[in-house]
Amino acid sequence: MNNADMRVGAGNRPPRSAFVRAVTTVGSYAAQMAKRPLSFIGTLIVIIFVVLAIIGPVIAPYSAREFIRDENGTLVRRASPSWEHPFGTDKEGRDVFSRVIWGAREIILLPGIATVVAVILGTCFGLTIGYLGGWLDEVASRILDSLLSIPALVLALVMLGTLGPSPVGIVIVVVLLYTPIVTRVIRSATLNIRDSGYVEAARLRGESTLYILFREILPGVLPALAVEAALRFSYAIFLIASLGFLGLGVQPPSPDWGRMVEEARGEYLRAPWSLWAPAGAIAFLVIGVNLMADGLRRIFRYEGGKDA
Amino acid sequence: MFIHKVRWQKGSIVRLLTVGVLAVLILAVGGVASAQDGEGVLRVGMVSPENLDPATGSNDPEVLFNRTIYDYLVEVTPDGVLAPNLAYDWEISEDGLTYTFFLEEGVTFHDGSAFSAADVVFTFNRLQELGSPATSLLGEFTVEAVDDLTVAFELAGPNADFMFGVASRFALILKDGTENPNVLGSGDDLFANFNGTGPFILSEYSAGERAFFVANENYWIEGQPMLAELEFLFIDDTLTQIDALRSGVVDFIFKLDVDQVPTLEGASGITIVDRATNQHPVIRIRSDEGALGEDVRVRQAFKYATNRQELLETVQEGFGVLGNNDPIGPAYGQFFDEDIEGVPFDPEMACELIQEATGEERISTDFYVVDAFNYESLGVALQQQWEQGCIDVNILLRSESLYYADTEWLEVDLGITGWGDQPVPQGYLVQAYVTDGIFNETHFSDADVDELVAQAAVTADLDERAAIYSEISQIFAERGPVIIPWFASVVGAVSDNVSGLEMHPFPGQTDFRTVSVNE
Repeated sequence: MNNADMRVGAGNRPPRSAFVRAVTTVGSYAAQMAKRPLSFIGTLIVIIFVVLAIIGPVIAPYSAREFIRDENGTLVRRASPSWEHPFGTDKEGRDVFSRVIWGAREIILLPGIATVVAVILGTCFGLTIGYLGGWLDEVASRILDSLLSIPALVLALVMLGTLGPSPVGIVIVVVLLYTPIVTRVIRSATLNIRDSGYVEAARLRGESTLYILFREILPGVLPALAVEAALRFSYAIFLIASLGFLGLGVQPPSPDWGRMVEEARGEYLRAPWSLWAPAGAIAFLVIGVNLMADGLRRIFRYEGGKDA
Repeated sequence: MFIHKVRWQKGSIVRLLTVGVLAVLILAVGGVASAQDGEGVLRVGMVSPENLDPATGSNDPEVLFNRTIYDYLVEVTPDGVLAPNLAYDWEISEDGLTYTFFLEEGVTFHDGSAFSAADVVFTFNRLQELGSPATSLLGEFTVEAVDDLTVAFELAGPNADFMFGVASRFALILKDGTENPNVLGSGDDLFANFNGTGPFILSEYSAGERAFFVANENYWIEGQPMLAELEFLFIDDTLTQIDALRSGVVDFIFKLDVDQVPTLEGASGITIVDRATNQHPVIRIRSDEGALGEDVRVRQAFKYATNRQELLETVQEGFGVLGNNDPIGPAYGQFFDEDIEGVPFDPEMACELIQEATGEERISTDFYVVDAFNYESLGVALQQQWEQGCIDVNILLRSESLYYADTEWLEVDLGITGWGDQPVPQGYLVQAYVTDGIFNETHFSDADVDELVAQAAVTADLDERAAIYSEISQIFAERGPVIIPWFASVVGAVSDNVSGLEMHPFPGQTDFRTVSVNE
């Protein structure tokens, strides 16, 4: 593939500083987001959940593991939604609303950490192999292909099944799964840019490889990176919720949404609210992140990142 | 290992041939084809059986599958009483060392051969050779045929549980010389190794999917079985089983998760059946030197911090009877001593004992919870209760297959273990609570218990035995290493068009011979 041909006119772009370009990107992003109602709603949902994760413990009426008792000391089990318990109580007698709010922490924190690590690693690898090319690129690409051929859930089940479920294990699994995907996306974005005039100019100025990678090429691949990060985040939420459902997520009694769905699976006739609340929360968050990612893609006119 | 997966394509020649051959066989064996004993088909939804060898297959689906094809010498009725089966009567010598069984005449195996004493001798020798779990009740013995229809067992020593060994779920009578019972053959002899005297004949089997049986026309009890056909559908998920029952795909399901049972309440045409059993969860506190429960005050603190009544009502949804922290439960009838006072729920007392024993305000430890039945809910509920009793635990969920396969369950300080139903309490005591018990998971060592258990093993007189068990229960109340919150009921559900079905406390031993279905 001849990348230079595909980027006709790229060489005409004035060589602005990376900082200025980054600020402009963020500024125009906010403005453009506001014009797209769906993307706006998606972003809003994500922001609401992030805020819930941060201030949740303050607004949650009960702790996530507390069994609620009435004045006689009997457990309040399977109470239907009311002012006191907006999402009712579950079969153990815990406030579902509080559990969903507390659970937001975990469902955002774990996939968040995992996504950040995977994106940082993937970016470093992708930039390096994309820019240096040659045999390194050939070898690395084949390794990536083989890693990508392993089904995500199977690898996760095998690893957590043998290591035993723990938050650290979950993060490691997600990082292992998503780093190759991010690497591949960033690599192809880098290939598009590396022959541009401003990169050429930096090379002629005698800049170091590190400088070129992170100050010249990185800002150019930021759109791809932003979309990819958002997509990875939504897939990570889903993956970790699935693992929780399969009993390989975080340990009870933590209010992991996937585990909550699993626990309430048999309650669909008697206390359906204890099933709907966590299932709805997962759906909302994943839809929100996806809408946001879609908005990012349109704003950046970026067409990649469609591979799951 | 014992089963080869058979997948039949619809209309395949093999299947046609097999069905054809079977039809001819049935015609030949049954004489007149139209003279069918029963009518109607019973369809049972159950977890897939894995180990089909009658001597070792131990869980409900496996035993149910086997007892459909084979008969016992003597069986335990749902009420816990010994009842004759292939042996119509038996005698015990004065010294309690010789047991003589008198066998039914005119019984034939599915292949047409006659049943005789040699088959019984073969079966019980095989149980010994394979080290079947039945041997823990049978003890040491030799067996020989007195004549064609009489069998005598010589015991190495007095054994009060011997009859329960003969009636144990593994002691299904095989044909003399059977090498690979319940292993699929090839060609026309696909089911030649499924050769019992039982009420039903296997006619189709697809591992993990279904098994189909037809009534044994030559069954030795007149008028039985009352069904024409029997079908097992293998459904591993109990929620799916419940849906299958609701939608009429199956007529009978058993061993339901108790928290799912109420979803069936009020469903028209379905009756929920439950039976008290001795199946119980054990919250075991390791009590050897250096372990969490070395100090008896710590063990008692855990008991004071546990509200067993609430656990039974909530986690177990009331399906069971209250346990009293020892394995000799109310379902054992006269062996259970209801006068022994249990440890009441008193979190303040627990805090005091913790303070006395450790000098600390609170203690904190890991709590291993096995991912089976409703034990995850039990673990979470205990964590809440114990918090008030100055005990903080960190739950570690373990998958059943890993936890028990490894020695982890025998080593940890604090954990939940599930113990299945046993016909006599002696089994639990010998395996788990004497110093050298093979499953002594608490590492409990109490000279008094060791002596009493050994005494009970040779005490045939039931009243004397009950007195010994009462003493053991008293020791458990004072210093035992376990909390037993409940003895679970086993719960099943049956469609209203089925009559005569009496679920056994061990559902795998449910008798289908007198069941009928009104279409």
